[in-house]
Amino acid sequence: MNLKQQFKEGLITNNPVLVQRIGMCSTMAITTSLFNGLGMGLSVLIILTCCNVAISALRKAIPNDIRLAIFVVVIAGFVTIVDLLLQAYIPALSASLGVFIPLIVVNCIIIGRAEAFCQHEPVGPSFWDGIFQGFGYTVVLVCMCLIRELLGSGTFGGGLIDITEGFRLTLDGSGAGIRIFPETYGATILLMPFGGFLTLASLLAAMQYALRKSAEKKEAAERAAKVEVVKEAANNA
Amino acid sequence: MEEKKLFTVSSNPLVRTERDTTRIMLDVIIALVPSLAVGTYMFGVKVLLLLAVSVFSCVFFEWGYRKLMKKSRSVGDLSAVVTGFLLTCVLPSNATWWMCVIGAFFAIVVVKQLYGGIGKNFLNPALAGRAFLTAAYAGFMTSWAIPTTLSATVVDAATMATPLSYLYAGTAMPEYFNYGSLFLGGIPGCMGEVSALAILLGAAYLLWRKVITWRTPTAFIGTVAVLCLIFGHEGYNRLDWTAFNLLSGGLLLGAFFMATDYSTSPVTLRGQLIFGAGCGALTVLIRYFGSYPEGVSYAILIMNCCAWAVDRVTRPRQFGVSAEDVKAAKQAKKEAKKKAKEAASV
Amino acid sequence: MTETKKSSNQIVKLALILFVVSAITSGVLGVVNYFTKDIIAMRRAEARAEAYQAVLPYDGEYTSVSFDEEAWETVDAISQAGGEGYVVELTFSGAQGSINAAVGVDSAGAITGVSIIEHAETSGLGAKITEDSFRSQFVGQTLGMALSKNGGEIDSITAATISSQAIVDACNTAIEVVESLG
Repeated sequence: MNLKQQFKEGLITNNPVLVQRIGMCSTMAITTSLFNGLGMGLSVLIILTCCNVAISALRKAIPNDIRLAIFVVVIAGFVTIVDLLLQAYIPALSASLGVFIPLIVVNCIIIGRAEAFCQHEPVGPSFWDGIFQGFGYTVVLVCMCLIRELLGSGTFGGGLIDITEGFRLTLDGSGAGIRIFPETYGATILLMPFGGFLTLASLLAAMQYALRKSAEKKEAAERAAKVEVVKEAANNA
Repeated sequence: MEEKKLFTVSSNPLVRTERDTTRIMLDVIIALVPSLAVGTYMFGVKVLLLLAVSVFSCVFFEWGYRKLMKKSRSVGDLSAVVTGFLLTCVLPSNATWWMCVIGAFFAIVVVKQLYGGIGKNFLNPALAGRAFLTAAYAGFMTSWAIPTTLSATVVDAATMATPLSYLYAGTAMPEYFNYGSLFLGGIPGCMGEVSALAILLGAAYLLWRKVITWRTPTAFIGTVAVLCLIFGHEGYNRLDWTAFNLLSGGLLLGAFFMATDYSTSPVTLRGQLIFGAGCGALTVLIRYFGSYPEGVSYAILIMNCCAWAVDRVTRPRQFGVSAEDVKAAKQAKKEAKKKAKEAASV
Repeated sequence: MTETKKSSNQIVKLALILFVVSAITSGVLGVVNYFTKDIIAMRRAEARAEAYQAVLPYDGEYTSVSFDEEAWETVDAISQAGGEGYVVELTFSGAQGSINAAVGVDSAGAITGVSIIEHAETSGLGAKITEDSFRSQFVGQTLGMALSKNGGEIDSITAATISSQAIVDACNTAIEVVESLG
């Protein structure tokens, strides 16, 4: 399995959220501002990569009977480390994501990749799998955030960008974001759980539509190629 | 020689009437005219503008979605126009034109067309649109313009509280909210719900045209009346309390125009009574204990979700099967189950 | 006979492996905790001190005051800022989870400031309780304050009445508990 294919799988054809449909709880719960989405996405990316590497390295030592228990212990360990580090160095993100950081322990993406990929594959591919799957997850979170934040509160980059005194990136979550339209026009319902379901459903539908369209195109091209071959053969004959 | 008579052989329906979806929808539109006329008088020409935007957006979304998805055209049946009318009726006049567009989009595309179009939606589109807007723009949806008849009385404010807010807070009604103003429509509220008289006129027309039956509205309003009469409220005369509850808010509009929607209410006759009673009970429950003063729209939406279950338990007996037969069949089924259980345990 | 022995051996082996993995994980966690513990505690203390200064500026030491903890369930701690007044720290439920806030009350029984230390309200809605425009309304309010829709002077956050009401209730509680101190 080469890198390019893994990258494509993580981002599109086997995207954790939009195709495998795992890790949807956090996807719907925290995607209300770009700050939250990026923070959560990067946290999961780091934890996923660490867990993938650790589990892949241990894969020969892990007995099949208790593999799930060991996966959970390893995952819980890494999640707690990231949680402690966030509390110590980015307290704003820790406060903003609250319980959803510890909840990464039960995020299906991590145990799902351990079960489906890392327990069979060597460390190298597992490392890249963690990076790319985590990246695919982050991209979906960021899309959700952009849509919900824009339509819900009318801003872009809430918590992350501050433009009151020139353009500035705020890592303490204090930036108000760039206002695209006045707050009164924002549909607050999109920031509520209902909005999470609605946005995720729309993204899923769009993804399925795009995947099916590209599959159809591919099939049509193949068929056309076959017809060409047959025609050529007929001509030659 | 006897002459042989030829019969035409055809499958049902065997009798056709002139009544079709378009005609029924036209009747509903006609029935809504008095309410919206009162609304226009009370809240100004803005009502007509919002109505135009709502209707146009509903029709546009209906046409656009069917076109985009390459489905048959359905704009001609006027159901989208009715949704536009009803949506306008359940919005406050302080709503903005773009809210009408968003509400129409949610009602037509998300609630109606995504489930297959007319007759296949399980929620009332206009009410779902209102619920969406209420959650999205609570500020606009709970600010009530002052009706024309009260503009001389209430001069120091741009908006005012509805009779329902007084009922909700349990404080005494100001004198300008009396039976006369409640009945004729001199109160703040949604554009199509203020005048009980206009709604009753429209309802009478629909009943006369046999577009709706008496069952659901009677059960709905009756349940609200009985429950209010039983429970009453501190500081109010029981009869006053009941009458105020019946005349304020969207109760009458909801009972006659929303709860009777064909595709989102039960088809069985007993089912319609249960549906109405359920709407009434939920309305009272929300008005007494909810966090919004008004509960009619949510009550109807909740009961919409239960309509299939109501239909299922009230399924009528097959023609030619007596009550005893049904009982016997049930008994036999029970015994068969018992036997199967015994057989399994042995 | 041999079979049972083999399987019991197997179980011991599995348990050992699981134990080793858990032990290593715990060890690593212990190390991380050792290095971050102080920083986290410092961050918390900083956040608290900042909140105290924001609600009731005072140059001296805030001194802790004892109170009837059973009667005031939502009150966590009360600190006296000399003769200026008191800072009351409360934990109470909002719309989504617990809200931890510090409320400054001056000696006359009026609010000097409200600061939200921790909360889990919906971002974009209830989370606006942390914004200045909402919190500044409380300054100068006295016992019995209420949201404007209930006839008071505090404008609630649009579509977040429950969160707003929670803060109003907390401020009233803070004044009451300070008055109960005498």
